[in-house]
Amino acid sequence: MQPVPPVPPPMENMGKPDPRYEARSKVTGRARYAADEPVSNPAWAFLVTSAIAKGKVRRFLADEAKGIPGVLAIITHENAPKREKVAFFGDGGYVSTSLVPLQGPDIHHAGQIIGVVLADSYETAREAAHRLRVEYEVAEPVAGFRSPGAQTVELAAVKKSHKDVGVGDIDKGLADAAVTVDAEYFTPTQHHNPIELFSTTAVWNGDELTIYEPSQFVYSLKNCVARQLALPPEKVHVINPYVGGAFGSKGAPTQRTALVAALARQFNRPVKLVVARDQGFFITTYRAETRHRVRLGATPDGKLTAYGHEGWELTSMVDNYDVAGTENTAEMYASPNVWTKVNLVKADRNTPGFMRSPPEVPYMYALECAMDELAVALNMDPVELRRINDTMKSPINGAAYTSRSLMKCYDEAAAQFGWSRRDPRPGSMRDGEWLVGWGCATATYPTNMMPSAARVRLGGDGSARVQVAAHDVGTGAYTVIGQATAEFLGIPADKVVVELGDSRLPPGPVAGGSMTTASACSAVKVACDRIRERLGGSVPADPKALAGMFEKLKVGSLEEYAEWAPPGGEKGLAALHEGRMGGGSAERGGGTPKPAMFAFGAEFVEVRIHSRTKEIRVPRITGAFAGGRILNPRTARSQYLGGMIWGIGSALHEATEIDEKRARYVNANIAEYLIPVNADVPLVEIIMVPEVDTQVNPIGVKGIGELSNVGTAAAIANAVYHATGKRIRDLPIRPESLV
Amino acid sequence: MGGDTKATGVSRRGFLASSASTAAVPLAAGVLGAGAASAQAPGRAPDPRAPVDMVLKVNGTDYRLPLDIRTTLLDALREHAGLTGAKKGCDQGQCGACTVHLDGQPVLSCLTLAVMAQGKAVTSIEGLEGRDGTLHPVQQAFIDNDAFQCGYCTPGQIMSAAACVEQGRAGDEAAIREFMSGNLCRCAAYPNIVAAVKQAAVVKTGRA
Amino acid sequence: MRPFTYEQAPDARAAVQMAAVPSDAHVRSPVQFIGGGTTLLDLMKLDVMRPATLVDITPLEKAEAGRIQQTPQGVRIGALVRMSDAAEHPLLVQQFPMVAQSLALAASQQLRTMARLGGNVLQRTRCPYFREIAYGQCNKREPGSGCAALDGHNRLHAILGVSEACIASYPGDWAQALVALDTNVEVMGPRGPRVIPFAELHKPPADTPHIETTLVPGELITAFNVPASAAARRSLYLKVRDRESYAFALASAAVGLDLDGERVRDVRIGLGGVATVPWRARKAEEALRGQVLDEAAAEKAAEAEFAAARTHGHNDFKVPVGRQTLVRALMAAKAMEV
Repeated sequence: MQPVPPVPPPMENMGKPDPRYEARSKVTGRARYAADEPVSNPAWAFLVTSAIAKGKVRRFLADEAKGIPGVLAIITHENAPKREKVAFFGDGGYVSTSLVPLQGPDIHHAGQIIGVVLADSYETAREAAHRLRVEYEVAEPVAGFRSPGAQTVELAAVKKSHKDVGVGDIDKGLADAAVTVDAEYFTPTQHHNPIELFSTTAVWNGDELTIYEPSQFVYSLKNCVARQLALPPEKVHVINPYVGGAFGSKGAPTQRTALVAALARQFNRPVKLVVARDQGFFITTYRAETRHRVRLGATPDGKLTAYGHEGWELTSMVDNYDVAGTENTAEMYASPNVWTKVNLVKADRNTPGFMRSPPEVPYMYALECAMDELAVALNMDPVELRRINDTMKSPINGAAYTSRSLMKCYDEAAAQFGWSRRDPRPGSMRDGEWLVGWGCATATYPTNMMPSAARVRLGGDGSARVQVAAHDVGTGAYTVIGQATAEFLGIPADKVVVELGDSRLPPGPVAGGSMTTASACSAVKVACDRIRERLGGSVPADPKALAGMFEKLKVGSLEEYAEWAPPGGEKGLAALHEGRMGGGSAERGGGTPKPAMFAFGAEFVEVRIHSRTKEIRVPRITGAFAGGRILNPRTARSQYLGGMIWGIGSALHEATEIDEKRARYVNANIAEYLIPVNADVPLVEIIMVPEVDTQVNPIGVKGIGELSNVGTAAAIANAVYHATGKRIRDLPIRPESLV
Repeated sequence: MGGDTKATGVSRRGFLASSASTAAVPLAAGVLGAGAASAQAPGRAPDPRAPVDMVLKVNGTDYRLPLDIRTTLLDALREHAGLTGAKKGCDQGQCGACTVHLDGQPVLSCLTLAVMAQGKAVTSIEGLEGRDGTLHPVQQAFIDNDAFQCGYCTPGQIMSAAACVEQGRAGDEAAIREFMSGNLCRCAAYPNIVAAVKQAAVVKTGRA
Repeated sequence: MRPFTYEQAPDARAAVQMAAVPSDAHVRSPVQFIGGGTTLLDLMKLDVMRPATLVDITPLEKAEAGRIQQTPQGVRIGALVRMSDAAEHPLLVQQFPMVAQSLALAASQQLRTMARLGGNVLQRTRCPYFREIAYGQCNKREPGSGCAALDGHNRLHAILGVSEACIASYPGDWAQALVALDTNVEVMGPRGPRVIPFAELHKPPADTPHIETTLVPGELITAFNVPASAAARRSLYLKVRDRESYAFALASAAVGLDLDGERVRDVRIGLGGVATVPWRARKAEEALRGQVLDEAAAEKAAEAEFAAARTHGHNDFKVPVGRQTLVRALMAAKAMEV
């Protein structure tokens, strides 16, 4: 199969490669992101954040700041109102951290919100925030894994719903093995850094509150703020039609929104907060650092006899956030003996959260590096090792995969990449001063779904409008929901108006877990099917015939509101209206084993490392992916493309550096927190392997937005080994890893 | 020292601009040569917090705005002129989302003081489209090549891309990649952006 | 950002007069000249720099300060020239490759378009403890407060020219070429013009890291005179960085060679990314002069230069990477066709 060009041709089991629905507004600057919303005479808020990670605010010296003309208020714990506490989303609540700011002098992490300045202008608010002097009582913080005093707890001991998955007897499996691998891996702290800054604009109209804020889950934000401010949820609206990148950072509501909304009420004026880039590192979430110990055992011909995986994940003192990626990695390869365990390590840090493929990125990195190490130990091609251990059923509970095209992906990508020309000996493929290495790894992502509602209206002129409070975070949701509506109604796509990103619309899924398309389009399908039924089975293409039918029905338009839940998730519909995650297939544990539902891919990379100075570059990367039905190959391709490049950054650049003594992020900006730039990415090839899956959901789609960034880091680490003979197990891999 | 009468003059008393629309306003040229110590008008205390009347020429239109002297060109556009196309992604000159053209040159509007942009032609994303709604070839190429996802960095990308094409730097892919490296895209549409720039360059030069 | 008064200077003399209000040599001097503003406004937003007066010197670009001119000795480069213009100037590209390359490899195209050369050499360090006022310890920002980088995160910090008071690295690229080529700096000051060697412009931190240059308060850089030489013609700038573009140097080397066959007649080396100031590698030069240039000689020279390196943990790798950057640059310069 050929790599797909930016404008893909029509392909098997794929929809039309239509350009993005909202393309024109994005290229003309008319797309209105949250902070673009014009509000009348706003007051500006600027956050004051803690310089220390642990201790107390002894006192504020505020005279200088207060004296600046234009300063309206300086709110600290000394004068802030008491706030309703809402539970951490991981505990069934909403917020990204249970730590409510301005409720007392205690400091729990660096960059904690300890004050808000409100002023007539942005410039004045920022100045006053900088001039508010703070005296602290400093205590010694726990920064991370290596800090003295870091406490480790077993996840199963602190989270009832978690059970460490496993099967068989790991010790026996290892004892039976001819070849074993036992290695430790590390992944660093990473921040999402969407280019859009975190912002909140709050406007009151009587007793109704409207919030303009970048959000991956407007219903959650609405319901959360309603509870925090003790308002009826129907009095709170969240409007955010365009999200400037999110990657998980705009999923669970942060504590800032209620603060801003309360100030707007108190001062009877719209309040606008645009959080400075550095502050964003501390007041929202991040991907916490992880450690892994992976043990693999195999027979001489490569059959796995044992897979053991213990993970350690960093979390805050106040919340237990976990990703527990072993739940997915345990499903990957046929092994009779699997043992897993997840631990949390508590530190004086802000609470971590979702970041693009939260469990899979760190855990698959460890597993896929270990698989490469095993292949080397077996003297076997790493692709063949995957083939030998490929499986069509879950090794844990025996449930069958609804579809699994892993090896097809490997074979297609390998052919395109030229893998057969690889000399497996490390350091053997030198090009002048540059060491060349080729590596590969598996990408995977589970197919998640959650309940969704949708409203579809068909007009007598054959045009349609579809409404759902889903979110297009750059994924193409506008486009595919529009295309799906058109397809289900049997009308042209350009006749469909799509409305998303507004809590006044029917509730939709969180833009997380790569489940928007599967969930929202399933609900859209129910609504469209009902409209077609009312028209006797189909929407006539002839406008006159359609007008005639509407006349007969005595309606100007046909409208259907529908709710859909994945099988077994019906009770999640109530949770959906409350903006809670739940009732979805993302929930695990208990009941009958659900089928194994995953999308797969295979990635091959070439790295070049300068023999003297050790810069590492990725001149080319090839990925093949199978994700069920693809509604729009153009937007899908972009997701795969962006994901693999994200993976390059994840392997070679991205790390939030922590001052171990002060427990503070030192590169909290995007000049020193490095993500790939255009020059880093000469060639990315994407192959889309057709896959038909009739079982996953009514429309046959799997989530793909978080598929292709899984596996990239392992493929690169494996290529670095091939280039140098050095096995680097800690990310990111940088010149200092290789000198 | 009379100063350049075409120059923009500023004093502590406030700001006096010279542009086509304000040519009749007396210049503060005399002040310019006088040195800071004597720059204040007699009897008036300097108040650096007093709003300064500025005139910004954006996309061919003069905007008269009373602004805090600290206002960046980006904030002037977004918060005062109502032109929210240029985006704030870092406010520190690190991401390129705020890229606009100043006298045809791509600059970071977040690191440009509005007061220093006076007397220069500012072009923002809103000024690229033809008055009849025809998209600039770079805008069309971005649509055709799916050169964006979330779209937030896109106005900045397009302004850089337009400069890249305009300056004749879209000759080969490596040159395009280097020129476009000052515009971060977290969705990582980079290869599609390169394809779009190539397409737009062909449109402009008529050569493949 | 604190409020400030803003004035535009029509020429250098006026600029200096406008700046002649109480001022000092401290990084946080209350009077600042502004050209491109790319460092200054960034640091003002962070409240690190708090000038009460900004003197806009961009009108100077209309005169000599905005030009690049060939001189009998070499080239005179005005301080208001944009980085992007100098990077592509044919005279610099052909006769002074390291000068042009060090500019082309710096920052991003937008920053190169905005930033002016005079300001470029005064670019401030990227040390996070300097740039973030949350940190109480920074001798550069608050003299006497200590240095958090010593026991903090110091991957990007300097290993040459460091002191107990400061290990902040000089972040620029172009200055390495200037220091290597014996550039002179033309300065206009309250007491008139003067010329200083570029090598004397920057002060290593010693125990006064808050005083970064030997410029007298109120002095303005107006031009750079780079002498032509055989070593300038056979020269290059090598920048080793985490990303392929738009990243600060982990290590860099501006290398110029005058060869007599394989033998080094003259050599000029400026090192970046590894030092507190633009670093003239005199020890390495000394080790090479008169020698046959091969890998062994290059390695030996690099070792001589980095023998004085002092590391602080995260930046340990800069010794081997810095050495190899120099070796690689020397060998590449030798292989150049001139």
